[in-house]
Amino acid sequence: MQVACLLVADFLVALARRDDPSLRGQPVIVGGSPEEHAAVVACSPEAVAAGVGIGTTLRRALALCPKAVFLPHREGVAAEAAGALLDLLRLYSPAVEAIAPGHAHLDIHGLAEMARMDDAAYLRDLQESAENASGLPVSLAAADTVFAAHAAATVQARGAMLVHAGEARAFLGRLPVEVLPVSPLMHQRLRLFGLNWLGQVAELTFSAMQAQFGREGARAWELANGRDDARIVPRPEEVRVSEELELPAPAALSEPLIAGTRALLLRALEHREIKGHSLRRLDWRLGLESGEQLGRRCVFREPTNDAARMLFALQPKIERLQLPAAAVSVGVTLSGLCSEYGHQANLWQVGPRRHRELLEAVEQLNTRVGGPQVFRIVEVQGWSRIPERQLGMVAFGP
Amino acid sequence: MVANSGTAAGDGRFRPLNEPSPAAVEATPRGAPKAMLWRGTYRRVVAVHDTWRIDDEWWRDEIARRYFVVELEGGRRLTIFHDLVRDLWYQQAYDAPKAGAPMGRKRAG
Repeated sequence: MQVACLLVADFLVALARRDDPSLRGQPVIVGGSPEEHAAVVACSPEAVAAGVGIGTTLRRALALCPKAVFLPHREGVAAEAAGALLDLLRLYSPAVEAIAPGHAHLDIHGLAEMARMDDAAYLRDLQESAENASGLPVSLAAADTVFAAHAAATVQARGAMLVHAGEARAFLGRLPVEVLPVSPLMHQRLRLFGLNWLGQVAELTFSAMQAQFGREGARAWELANGRDDARIVPRPEEVRVSEELELPAPAALSEPLIAGTRALLLRALEHREIKGHSLRRLDWRLGLESGEQLGRRCVFREPTNDAARMLFALQPKIERLQLPAAAVSVGVTLSGLCSEYGHQANLWQVGPRRHRELLEAVEQLNTRVGGPQVFRIVEVQGWSRIPERQLGMVAFGP
Repeated sequence: MVANSGTAAGDGRFRPLNEPSPAAVEATPRGAPKAMLWRGTYRRVVAVHDTWRIDDEWWRDEIARRYFVVELEGGRRLTIFHDLVRDLWYQQAYDAPKAGAPMGRKRAG
């Protein structure tokens, strides 16, 4: 076996049910409350059966599934849980590719032998470790190709599955066409042609599939026949810095939370790993007396390492919070490291004093070397088809 | 783009930009480039991605050029042209003229 796929189906819903087991069996919709002008981010199969889908407005979702439980989208909590799963997988494999929160591919070639285990036992061990560490239902499947591993992980709710070498085509043949990574429209078209299983797609000729369905059809045929040259592309580990503090007394107002967040940001920005760098992302979390965790995420339009700017972006989100219980702890995680530290200003768009200094510097250079040395590019005959006539250089100066 | 400063022209105050530079190109009998001297080594042209011709200023110093966007061995892409009047080859970056040009580029059939 070469590749494993770890999948937590309906990750956000599974996360909510882990934190509140009473939600099991009930239709759950994640995205906010129905009064908000927002869309469904994730929903449980019970809600899907009622007609709710990702992207449905929350109001419409309420109309379709009035008994659903509506939950806010806790980005920070989801990111932390997804990150913890990836960290666990990196203990098992050197090449882990995160596809989506709760969905990852990992290269496991030779790892079972190194651990002196057979393949099935190795997979079971990894699957149980992931479930125990995360508290989420984990489906883990391994095969020789990425698609076969992913398809196998998709068809089971939890557990470990191994698709043996040489059995992939037969295994895939029994799967519905919905496992193919093509557009939903393509799935519909396949069904309309009576192609319900991958085995039926594999029996057709390549030219027929390509002629009828184009590039997607060619890809579907290759995958149905077990031909997949996709490789794991691990992304470099992201640098993340976290700071936490316990509040001296439970707080229900925003002022102590903001003050605590300011102190945390200043402390986090002093970390050696990120000092001198700008950052794009801030994950903020709040621990409540009830044991619940709230989180908010800020992604900055321009990278920054200024605590005041970060707090300026985060403060409205803190002030809008309606806490179900008093807060006892605050935490921040900074990530999205950039090498950019500042902006390159336009040399020519400076104030009058700087402009005079610039002219003086240019005159000094021209006198020292002899002749104009600094030029501006100007348009001469922008409409000309002869390239050397389009632009020219004019000596910079008064 | 910088607005015209109104500076008086003088010696060395105006210089052309994007002047073509001579290139050593080996061509087929039909005029397509097949190899080019690049950084001291003749490299084979593995693909011609685009070709077009410009003809201009026939009333004074005639300009007739056939341009090629070529890809050399190793993946480097260059724009070169064959000066059909002087039968010489040059290398030059090419940007499409701005809207309002009198005639569009004529592509080879």
